[in-house]
Amino acid sequence: MTNADATRILSRIRDEEFIDREVEVARVCALAQTGRESQRGLPSNALLLGAPRVGKSEIMRKSFDRLFNMGGEVIPIYYSLRRSCLDPDRFAWDYFAQFLAQFVAFKRNDLALISMADESLSVIARAAPPEDYPWTRSMVDSFTIASGSKDPSRLVRLALSGSAATCAQASLTPLLLIDNWHMVAGSDLHTEFLRALVEHGGSDPANAAYVLSSLRRAITELIPADEGLFDRLEMIHVEQMKEEHLETLVRRRAESLGVEISDSTIELMSRQLNCDVFYTRAILDAAASRGSSLKTFIEFERLYTAEVLRGRIGVYLNAVLHDVAPEPRAGRAVLEALALVVSAGSRVPIEAVTERIAEYTSDGEALLARMHSRELLEISYGFANASSDPVLSDYVRARYRREITGAPRPVAGEELLGEKLKHSYRLMMSRYNRAIQSQLVELLSRFDFQNLPASLFDLITFDKRYRGISRVQVRKALDDEVDHVRLPQIVLVHDIGGGEQPGVSWRLFAATGFEGGIYSDANEVLWLVALINSKEPVDVETLGRIDQPLEAAERARRGKSGMGQPGVRWYISKEGFSAIAYEGLSRLKSYCSTYAQLDLIQDYLIRLALGVEARPASEFELVIPIEEEAELIAARTAEQIARAANFDQEAINQIKTALIEACINAAEHSDSPDRKIHQRFAIDDDKLIITVSNKGKKFGRVNGQSTPSVSAQPAKGARGRGLQIIRALMDEVEFERTDDGARLVMTKYLKRPGSQ
Amino acid sequence: MSAAEIKARLIEDAAVIYPGLYLNQLRGESIESQCQEFLASGVRRIVINFEETELINSIGISILLSVIDSVNHAQGALMLSNLNASNRELFEMLGLMSHVEMVDTEEDALLKLRGQIVQSST
Repeated sequence: MTNADATRILSRIRDEEFIDREVEVARVCALAQTGRESQRGLPSNALLLGAPRVGKSEIMRKSFDRLFNMGGEVIPIYYSLRRSCLDPDRFAWDYFAQFLAQFVAFKRNDLALISMADESLSVIARAAPPEDYPWTRSMVDSFTIASGSKDPSRLVRLALSGSAATCAQASLTPLLLIDNWHMVAGSDLHTEFLRALVEHGGSDPANAAYVLSSLRRAITELIPADEGLFDRLEMIHVEQMKEEHLETLVRRRAESLGVEISDSTIELMSRQLNCDVFYTRAILDAAASRGSSLKTFIEFERLYTAEVLRGRIGVYLNAVLHDVAPEPRAGRAVLEALALVVSAGSRVPIEAVTERIAEYTSDGEALLARMHSRELLEISYGFANASSDPVLSDYVRARYRREITGAPRPVAGEELLGEKLKHSYRLMMSRYNRAIQSQLVELLSRFDFQNLPASLFDLITFDKRYRGISRVQVRKALDDEVDHVRLPQIVLVHDIGGGEQPGVSWRLFAATGFEGGIYSDANEVLWLVALINSKEPVDVETLGRIDQPLEAAERARRGKSGMGQPGVRWYISKEGFSAIAYEGLSRLKSYCSTYAQLDLIQDYLIRLALGVEARPASEFELVIPIEEEAELIAARTAEQIARAANFDQEAINQIKTALIEACINAAEHSDSPDRKIHQRFAIDDDKLIITVSNKGKKFGRVNGQSTPSVSAQPAKGARGRGLQIIRALMDEVEFERTDDGARLVMTKYLKRPGSQ
Repeated sequence: MSAAEIKARLIEDAAVIYPGLYLNQLRGESIESQCQEFLASGVRRIVINFEETELINSIGISILLSVIDSVNHAQGALMLSNLNASNRELFEMLGLMSHVEMVDTEEDALLKLRGQIVQSST
């Protein structure tokens, strides 16, 4: 536990795992301070809005902890609304007790006193410091008397604004953190809160500042269109955690729980769980409690399936659905509605949904509105769409199969597991595709009237000129090319859709810009770019399918802007194009490149931007076929790279020998259909890291057994020396299992003069 | 898999084998069969000259151990020569030194082998 953790009061997440939310906490904490110091009456109330499970409550609790630990003139009061306390009378008593207990705890700087909220009001008041006792006692008496008046609204007013105002007695500004505020919708509490916001929240230092956390969709029915109210209201939107932050969180959490996890599983988790922190923590906690690792997709998917069906995630989603529709028949209506929109895969007319659930509820529209508010589905202009939460969709499908279609639980479970396993590979592939797409969009945005070697836009010319030449040499040779393509300056890039067929998927982009550095209609230009991920060279038929939307986009663009000149077409295919397809593209003077050329274009543009002639490459990739003596090619490559990195001859020989053994191992254990060994060479400041990957069942030692030792009299054919050799010749050796094979990562450090 | 061609020559009654650039399974097996031929024809002194050998892999080493066994079994003598520093280090690491003698040059090897045979015949 860190020092910061020692001061955790209400927050539930350790500081190391509280990631990507510092800005929101800082804004909340600054709110009361802003009110106190402001001369101009800046907003001192705030709405903290976000999707379910995005982390609003933890932001509120962390803010409480920070302010409580800070001491000073701002006193934090945290209250979380609960379904059981929405009755005005119960709310008033509960809220007032918690307010008083937190006030006393703050004044005495004793966080244990917060739990006194369960005691009677007079007991809490007696714990107040002597200087505060008279007025707290008086306030408790007033409250008790008011409770006898049988006017719950008055009691709520007293609890809300009266208690806050009394802080002036102690020269403190309360920051009232009201969590789950959307729960007040439709209750009497709603009016009283709005009144408190208008009358007592504000820039006057004597008044409280309110922070109300709420589901984002509920807010339109909670806040009236009152300019005065909005003038004093700051909006703090809590967005979904970014992928890179979630990955950091997963690594830290997994490490603290002792759960082994692989990089690819982390990526899959973040995609499949849609970067949802609650789901992610649930899976990691489940792995820890079962002692499972998360190194492979199947381990993750097994845990995921169990969690969704009967673990924390499943129970949580049961509770959410029950909260929306507590009655069993209404619950059935919710499940029917969700199953309908999830299975439809596209928007469904509201009438179709209400008709489907009419048997189970008399007010289908009200139920759908509640579901919309809780983000179980989305209602928009007469249509219902499925939620963007993929876990909810899985849960709905599995529960519907089990409870409505009557599939026994194990069958339902297995079905979900099978679905997720199939889906996981597609998901990872789509991630890869998205990475390439982002690379292309970024690259297009860099187009700024540069001249690029023409061969980068013509794969046959490129192939003829550079086949068999190393990437380093290609980069040098590109500088000597005479023919160039003059790029436009790209201003806007639009994604104009995509498509797929077996073995091929594509994404299309329209990039608009200007040629020749002149911003006129005549110089406006449109680049239509097709990014094609294909296992084979793209044929004419596929190209025809890709062309249709491109032509439509070009027609639409011309009609809209009156652009005279035809658009430039650029086709980028991972595996190139068939000879006939290429001929067709050449006839139309279209550009065509491969992913490798795309990489080089990016590289070239970066070099131009940096203004350097040659940027030393730090990473190389090599793929060799599994065939006799192909490992020599790898050894030669390693030699060149190691020499360039200033390794001495002895180290170079060691690297070559180790690499040869790694290749032999990979070939022996691979059952990959492509019969290839993938290698990556990365030069860092003081080391060369070589990664050798195979797509097979194992790679030498992967199951934890020790490296076979060399016997005193080794027999012919006894393998195992390979690993011994690798370990002896390289400085670090690690085996990593991947879902489709294994990889061996070997590191050799550069010896500095004088080092051992 | 076809056998790799390797160079070999007879100097008086001793044989010298040159594994070539890369001692792998293919070349190892060629050395093995070449040795068997020499032993069958009565040649008992064999030198393997690694001067041109840049790389050796673990399968090649396994086969080399088998060759050492065969020569010993036939009451012959085998020496390795002209190993570069890396290959020598590799052999040392794998414990080959206890099974076969390594010398700097082919001439040294031939000289030593002649002495060993003379000694053993007197």
